[in-house]
Amino acid sequence: MNVLSCSTNTLKGLYDISGVEVGQHFYWQIGGFQVHGQVLITSWVVIAILLGSASIAVRNPQTIPNAGQNFFEYVLEFIRDVSKTQIGEEYGPWVPFIGTMFLFIFVSNWSGALLPWKIIQLPHGELAAPTNDINTTVALALLTSVAYFYAGLSKKGLSYFSKYIQPTPILLPINILEDFTKPLSLSFRLFGNILADELVVVVLVSLVPLVVPIPVMFLGLFTSGIQALIFATLAAAYIGESMEGHH
Amino acid sequence: MANVIMASSKTQIPVSSSLPTPIPKPSPIPQLSLPKPKVLSIPSSSVALKSVSVIGAAAPLLLAPLPALAVEIEKAALFDFNLTLPIVMGEFLLLMFALDKVYFSPLGKFMDERDAAIKEKLSSVKDTSQEVKQLEEQAAAIMKAARAEISAALNKMKKETQAEVEEKLREGRKKVEAELQEALANLERQKEETVKALDSQIAALSQDIVKKVLPVE
Repeated sequence: MNVLSCSTNTLKGLYDISGVEVGQHFYWQIGGFQVHGQVLITSWVVIAILLGSASIAVRNPQTIPNAGQNFFEYVLEFIRDVSKTQIGEEYGPWVPFIGTMFLFIFVSNWSGALLPWKIIQLPHGELAAPTNDINTTVALALLTSVAYFYAGLSKKGLSYFSKYIQPTPILLPINILEDFTKPLSLSFRLFGNILADELVVVVLVSLVPLVVPIPVMFLGLFTSGIQALIFATLAAAYIGESMEGHH
Repeated sequence: MANVIMASSKTQIPVSSSLPTPIPKPSPIPQLSLPKPKVLSIPSSSVALKSVSVIGAAAPLLLAPLPALAVEIEKAALFDFNLTLPIVMGEFLLLMFALDKVYFSPLGKFMDERDAAIKEKLSSVKDTSQEVKQLEEQAAAIMKAARAEISAALNKMKKETQAEVEEKLREGRKKVEAELQEALANLERQKEETVKALDSQIAALSQDIVKKVLPVE
């Protein structure tokens, strides 16, 4: 029994050190509704980083760009390239949506891996990447759904709905189901990847605090970037799919 | 040990199975049935609720699972949808408009304008080939004119020198002729004088001859 209580203390100490907190939230009360304060705080930081860096770098564009402007031009060309390949020639109006989607998710993911959020102690829960919370990813996925519906309806009017019976009317249920699986897969893919990534790092750090977690951290950075790219690319692909003419 | 593992997995299963429920239900295990609103209204509840959850599921396999630890486990609300979702949506839309104003539109427009300017410059460079041709023609014309001028000047000079030479030649010939004439005239005059002188002498001589031939009577 003595041994057991000792091991319990050790275990509890380990938890306190590693600070693994999954599904714990720092709740705020807004007009009778609850919100996850840690998500809002980190998302504000992400938004501030994005807007601040962009406005500083693009404030006074030069014909021969300096380093910061060059970087942002590269990012913009990358986003344009992604939207152009997925949407086609009429990609112009969708660049802000796709670009914000990519940049917000990318900076969120990397902020979870790079910014030392854990230094700031919250009364409950802990600060992490905003994409670590299902609310954020579902919000983004639903916006994507709204976006591709809007794209299709504004391009083709009500004849957009004829795509549900397009190859044959037999596929109607599957086509309708797609509208639900698209946001579901988008949000759960991102959420699961980021959560799993942070958990793996935390667990490895709690087990072996030195050296061993470093490759996993780099892998996490890689996955984070890939996930942001996948989300933005899929969003663009859905928009392009609903805009293209059926033949 | 197998028993221990079984036991640990049994205690953990309800925790993980209660993860996906967004609506707080009274949990089957009494230790876990902390109604959520209460937890929220009293965030600094007596026990420091450190979560265990996923690592909690892995680690107790090594050590013995204890009921004391279970009290510490708070129900993890992974799929806890609330007002955060629409707020994040709104934040995203605001970020989209702000980034469009600050970044995408101005920089995109700037880049497009620069591209257009570069293209224009490139095409204008192609156009200068015509200009170069024109310049070449101009240069050829100038060369031609210069050559013509030079040959004209040369011709003129040649003519002038020739004329000068001829003039001098003519002058010289004239002089020579004049001298010759003068000399001839001189000669003639001398001849005439001589003839005249001879004439007078002829008369005297003929008288002499007559006197000599014909005896004086």
